[in-house]
Amino acid sequence: MQKRTVKVVNPQGFHMRPAGVFANALAKYECDITLRHNGRDVNAKSLMNLIAACIKCGSEIEIICEGKDDKGIAEEKAALEEACSMIESGLGEV
Amino acid sequence: MKKIQGIGVSGGIAIGSACLIRQAALSYSKESSLTQVAEKSRLNKAIADYTESTKAAAANLRTRVGDHDAAILEGHLLMLNDPCLRGEIDDMLAKGATAEHAAAAVLESYIIVFTASEDDLTRQRAADVRDIKNALLALLQEKSTAALTLPENAILVTEELTPSMLAALTDSPPTGILTAKGSITSHAAILAGTMGIPAVFSAEGGIGQITDGTVVILNGSSGEVILSPDESTLQTHTSRAAAEREVRAALASFADKPTLSADGKAFCLFCNIGTPAEASLVKASGGEGIGLMRSEFLFMDRTSPPDEEEQYEAYKSAAEAIEGKPLIIRTLDIGGDKAIPSLGIEHEENPFLGHRAIRYCLSHEALFKTQLRAILRASKHGDVRIMLPLIISPSEIRAVKALLEACREELSLDPIPLGIMIETPAAVLTADILAREADFFSIGTNDLTQYVLTADRGNRAAAALYDPFHPAVLRAIRHVIHAAKSAKIPVAMCGEAAADPRMIPLLMAMGLDEFSTSPSKTLACRAEIAKWSLPDATALLERVMAAERVEEVRDILQN
Repeated sequence: MQKRTVKVVNPQGFHMRPAGVFANALAKYECDITLRHNGRDVNAKSLMNLIAACIKCGSEIEIICEGKDDKGIAEEKAALEEACSMIESGLGEV
Repeated sequence: MKKIQGIGVSGGIAIGSACLIRQAALSYSKESSLTQVAEKSRLNKAIADYTESTKAAAANLRTRVGDHDAAILEGHLLMLNDPCLRGEIDDMLAKGATAEHAAAAVLESYIIVFTASEDDLTRQRAADVRDIKNALLALLQEKSTAALTLPENAILVTEELTPSMLAALTDSPPTGILTAKGSITSHAAILAGTMGIPAVFSAEGGIGQITDGTVVILNGSSGEVILSPDESTLQTHTSRAAAEREVRAALASFADKPTLSADGKAFCLFCNIGTPAEASLVKASGGEGIGLMRSEFLFMDRTSPPDEEEQYEAYKSAAEAIEGKPLIIRTLDIGGDKAIPSLGIEHEENPFLGHRAIRYCLSHEALFKTQLRAILRASKHGDVRIMLPLIISPSEIRAVKALLEACREELSLDPIPLGIMIETPAAVLTADILAREADFFSIGTNDLTQYVLTADRGNRAAAALYDPFHPAVLRAIRHVIHAAKSAKIPVAMCGEAAADPRMIPLLMAMGLDEFSTSPSKTLACRAEIAKWSLPDATALLERVMAAERVEEVRDILQN
C-alpha cells in the first residue's frame, strides 16, 4: 500500500470538470485508489462520488493506492505519483 | 378560457398549440423477464445511443451557442461513464432488475445525495443526473427525445425543461415554452433567453389540464398564461404579438451596431445583471459590457455567507462570459429592509437611513475583505472594476482603498479601477470632492430619486411623489455629470431611468458617457439614442430645465 497527503490547490476543488479529468486519468490503473477526506473514503476513479464528496480548494486529502497483491507495488507507486501530481498542479485548472 | 400564473423567464408573447413532452414518467416493470445478458445489451445500446446523440448535440451547441453550454452536455457523458455507477447498475442487473429499473434506481440514488448537499454547485448537479436518467429511460422505451421535431407554432409543455431537450430542438425551435418547474437562473432559462424563445416556468398546478393541441397564449415577461382563449382574447394577443415581433425585428438591426447619436457621437451601452448566469445574455442583447453586477444574490437564501472561492467562481464566470469587456461589480448592497439569514442582519426601524451597504461592509471587515479578494482574483480573467454603494464621504472611499491595497499586496495582483455609486444627496452635493478619490461615477437613480424627494416608492401613499423627472432629481443628475466632466472621470447611469426613452435625450444632452440597462432594454436604448442629434437633445433639455414642476416636465416630454 502506498499513501501520501496532498493539498487541493485548484480554485473549484473537485467539481465537474476537474474531477472528470482526475477520475478519467486514473481509470487505467488496476489498483484501488482511495481518497480520504474528512474521515470519509471516496473511490478516486468515480466522478459521481468525487462530486458528492464536495472537496474544496485548500482541503488536505490522503491518497491511498492498494493493489491486489505485492506484485503491484510498482503500479501503486505510479498511480500515487500521477494522482498527487495532478492535484498539486491544479487538475488542469490553474 | 382559463388563466394560470408562472414565472416569466424569457420575454415575448407566444401563441400556439400545446405539444406535451412527458418526461419518462414511463411505466416499466422492475423485475426482468429476460436474461441478464439481454438486459445488459439493452442497456448498452441505450448508453451508446445516448452517447452518440449527446456528442452530436454538444457539437451543435458549440457552434450555435458556445463552448460553455456544450461542456455541460459533455459532462453528462463523463458522469455516465463513472465505473462506480456502472458497477452499481450491473449489480442490480445481476439481481434480475430490468435495465430501466437498474439505471433509474442507481441514478436516483445520486440525485438524492447531490440534492442533500450543503454545497450549491453540488446541488445543481442533481439536475444533470436527472437529465441523464430521463434520457436513458426514454431511449430504453424507444421514446427518444434526441431527434425531436415539433410542428409549427408549437408551445412546448413539459414538467421541467432540460438543456439537452432544448439542444435537441435547435432545428425546430418551439414558439414558446411552458413548464411546471424550474427557476429563472437555471441553465435552461438562460438558453431559452439566448435563443429568443418566450418562456414561462414554474406554472405549477396549471399544467395538468393541458392536452396536446390546447391553444396557449403565454407572456414570457409577466409570466401570465391563458389556456383555450375566447375569440376576442385571442385576437387581442395575436395583434399584440405581431406588433411585438415588428418592434423586435426593428430592434434586431441594432444588435451589432455601435451606440451612436443621430449626429454620430458615441456612447457606451452596458447591462445590469443580478447573477453570473445572466452574463451570457449581455452579448446576445447587444450590451458592450456589464455596468452593474449586483453581488447580493450570493448572500441570499442561505445559512452561511459564501467563501472567497465561491465568490471568485461567480465573478470569474461573469468575466469570462463577456470575453474581456468591462465588468463592474458592486460590493454588497444590503440593509435592514431585507432579511439575510447568512449575515444575521437585524431588522431596523428605518432601514434606508440605517446601517446598510458600504457602512455595513466597513464595519464587517473580514466579510468585506473576502469579497474584495474574490473580485481582485477574478480581475485576472477580464476587465473587472469595483463599485461602492451608498457613498456619502471621501473617507469611505479611502478606507476601502486601504483594504483593497492590503488585499492586493497579499495576492500580488495589479490595481483595478474603483468607482462609486452616486445615490445620496450628500454624494451629489460633494461630487467634486468625491471625484478626486473615485475612478468613475455611476448614478443610481432608483435610490437617488427616493432620497432626494424623501418619498418611498414602496409606500403606496407616497409612491406618487416618487418621480425621476422631478426638477430636483434632474438638477441633481446634471450637477453630478458636470462634476465628473470637470474632473475628467467617466460618468454612467445604472438606474431604471437610464432606459426610459423620455430620459435618454436629456442624459445625452447633459453629457452622460455610459447608459447601463437591464439586458431586455439594451437594444431599445440604443435605438432611442440613434434617434437624437445632440443639438435637438440640448434644445429639449433647455426647455425641460426651465420647467418649475414635474407636471410641466412631463407635459414637455409628452409631445
